[in-house]
Amino acid sequence: MKNRLRDLRSGKGWSQGDLADALGVSRQSINALETGKFDPSLPLAFRIARLFNKRIEDVFDDGLGYMKKAAE
Amino acid sequence: MKDITFRGANRRYRRLFFPVMAFYVVFCFAGPLIMVAYGGEPPVWLMVIVAIISGAPIAVVFWLMGRYLRETDEFTRKIQIDALLPGAGITLSLAVIWGFLELYQVVPRFKIFTPMMMVGPSFFFFYGITFSIQRLLRGESLRDASVMGRDER
Repeated sequence: MKNRLRDLRSGKGWSQGDLADALGVSRQSINALETGKFDPSLPLAFRIARLFNKRIEDVFDDGLGYMKKAAE
Repeated sequence: MKDITFRGANRRYRRLFFPVMAFYVVFCFAGPLIMVAYGGEPPVWLMVIVAIISGAPIAVVFWLMGRYLRETDEFTRKIQIDALLPGAGITLSLAVIWGFLELYQVVPRFKIFTPMMMVGPSFFFFYGITFSIQRLLRGESLRDASVMGRDER
């Protein structure tokens, strides 16, 4: 799943370690998330989105965003 | 208050893991020394107790690993399980193959140690090898198990 985690983190001037500490996860987790090697659980996705004051779909893209656009 | 983060889980794991392993190593040597002290014929009850104490650290480490898997973050849980399963699978397969080879008298019975004693250490060996290979395949460094490459900004 694609995501904007790296951009959002960089925007805050945080390192991967800073973000990992803020979420209570390992730095490996952040790297794996940013490189798309790991998809978070729903609770972790919520925590990430809330940390950046975003909605989950503003952070993560499951590739089905066209459905939402089509509905609009 | 209990630190429920990845760091807290790591700290709690390491705080007990190293003393338990030190205890295990000490008893690996203590058992044979006790046998020598009794002139090679110690009481059976004593050696049963020594054998149980020698193997108990393996059970404690598995309890520790279980607690760590429950407490750590989801990505760490995933990569640990990815390594634990092959580690257990390889060890058990080799133990069963060796058992049959002994039964068919293809391999000799060792005098100094028995293959059954090596099942625990073998598991941790293959688990470590699998974990390291998987780290390399993910493009991670082996130098620091808690750090994945450089801390990007």
